[in-house]
Amino acid sequence: MKTSASLVRDYLSAVEREASALPADRRQELLADLTEHIEVTRAERPDAAIGEVLAELGDPRTIAATALAEAGNGVGGAPARSDAGAPARSGKVHPLVPLLMLTLSMPFMMVFTDQPGQLVGVLFRLAGAVLLCTSAHWTPVRKTSGVLLAAVLPSVVIGTWNLSSGGPDAGAPALLANLAMFAVMAGTAVWLWRVRRA
Amino acid sequence: MEPGDSTKQARAAAQLRKGVLEYCVLALMRDRPRYGVELLHALEESGALATSQGTVYPLLSRLRRDDLVTTSWQESASGPPRRYYALTDSGRAALDEFTRVWPGFRNAVDAFLTTPHPPTGEIV
Repeated sequence: MKTSASLVRDYLSAVEREASALPADRRQELLADLTEHIEVTRAERPDAAIGEVLAELGDPRTIAATALAEAGNGVGGAPARSDAGAPARSGKVHPLVPLLMLTLSMPFMMVFTDQPGQLVGVLFRLAGAVLLCTSAHWTPVRKTSGVLLAAVLPSVVIGTWNLSSGGPDAGAPALLANLAMFAVMAGTAVWLWRVRRA
Repeated sequence: MEPGDSTKQARAAAQLRKGVLEYCVLALMRDRPRYGVELLHALEESGALATSQGTVYPLLSRLRRDDLVTTSWQESASGPPRRYYALTDSGRAALDEFTRVWPGFRNAVDAFLTTPHPPTGEIV
């Protein structure tokens, strides 16, 4: 005759086994929720047999399958790819991240015009471009257009400007040019956001 | 009308439940926070929405991740502390939206189900 503690343990380890495809934190959360449910139910219905409580909770396989399905919905990336394992990881960054990094690098560089500021801005823009390219949210053509418009074009234009007119803070024309560039980058980001894949 | 195959009826009910369960769970939290076992009891008593209890926890977990509900622990007079689920503003907005579209949806389905169709199949 099994003790109720060992029945509960068996049940939870069955859920854990069936849910092995879940990310570890989700699996732990599910097990914690079920453990709490069992404890609360036993406190509220002290006379109920543990077998009954577990039977009402349901088949570990069904629970694990539901958890997997819900995890697929919630990741926001491509559920179809979630079973592909490691390669799917690269696309898991939220689509806003590269777009914000690309766009915000511009006002950042306009504010911090001294040397470390410019370098940080460029690195920020590069990181944004890399994240954009590795994201699962856009087709290769859109990624290329995005990188050209939001990273390469502004960098080339600003670089050329700085070399020809002696510095990033060269008065009103420079400010206007910067703002125009920023508008192009922001427009590109908005377009990429609109055409992203769910 | 044929009596119908009971597994097929179960499948129809399961499909329906899948679509509406999360909104019913949100609706249960409309007036006050509820804890898991309490939510499950309410679903159970409804009959049609009763489901394998354990499958509601992954749903609650997703609602939490999607920021439709928040949770907080509260001590109880009997037994362990309970994790209470409460609607967030976006949870309330999602529930309001569902409440708005549901009557139209229900009426449309009713209309399909009750419109008389010419008898077929007898004369073939």
